Amino acid sequence: MTAFLFDTLTNGLEQVLDLRIQQHGLTATNLANADTPGFRARIIDFEDVLSEVVGQPEELPMLRSDPLHLSQASATDPEIIELEPTPWAEDGNSVQLERETARLNANALMYRGVSRGLSRRLAMLKYAASDGRK
Amino acid sequence: MDLLDTLNISGSGLAAQRVRLQTVASNLANARTTRTAEGGPYRRRAAVFESNPIDNFGTQLDQALAQVEVAGIEIADQGGRVVHDPNHPDADANGYVTYPDINLLHEMVDLMTTSRSYEANANVVETTRDLALRALEIGR
Repeated sequence: MTAFLFDTLTNGLEQVLDLRIQQHGLTATNLANADTPGFRARIIDFEDVLSEVVGQPEELPMLRSDPLHLSQASATDPEIIELEPTPWAEDGNSVQLERETARLNANALMYRGVSRGLSRRLAMLKYAASDGRK
Repeated sequence: MDLLDTLNISGSGLAAQRVRLQTVASNLANARTTRTAEGGPYRRRAAVFESNPIDNFGTQLDQALAQVEVAGIEIADQGGRVVHDPNHPDADANGYVTYPDINLLHEMVDLMTTSRSYEANANVVETTRDLALRALEIGR
């Protein structure tokens, strides 16, 4: 039962939403500090964390003592990368306005997509729970 | 962290850029001011920014999130610009007037980058609002 409501996919989608919100916060930080000398732009390494959240079983998964325990992959404390400034950045600031704006929009787009996916999934459950009637 | 933290961060960015805009306005308005309360010509000002983590003791993410604050408004020029103008009331004995060291081009470029940075922060506020609304729609 729990495995159906809180399966890997629903959990995964939820964690991806969480990660997207966190990346959104980091983009806000980067853009707010676009003119702070010495500030390093910060991003979440999505490649790394997504495979952990929704992806393939790892080669050495952590031991779960009970099959009802939720997946161990966590999006609560993802790895954060600081970008190096370009050599010609006079003030040592590595925020590039265009890149951050693109990241802002791409991230928001993914958030919208994933939240729609989660909505669909909940709608399916609702449909099933009401015996196929609307 | 939540979306309100994000709004606070963007808000700090907007506020900081506005202060910078005010210093540019002050510099442009006083480009030829030769008398000030401190005596001597107007000195060019620049806002100095500093990033400030919203939470120093939280998770790695909480420490990575940082507001921007105006550390101070400091004098940023290399002395005055000396012009020979014996008819000016503030000319010295040799007929030289010291004007503020303000480069109009420099200030205009500063004005433009300030305005772009302000827009970028306003854009984040807009996107944050949209994301929050999307979250409310989940399951509708």
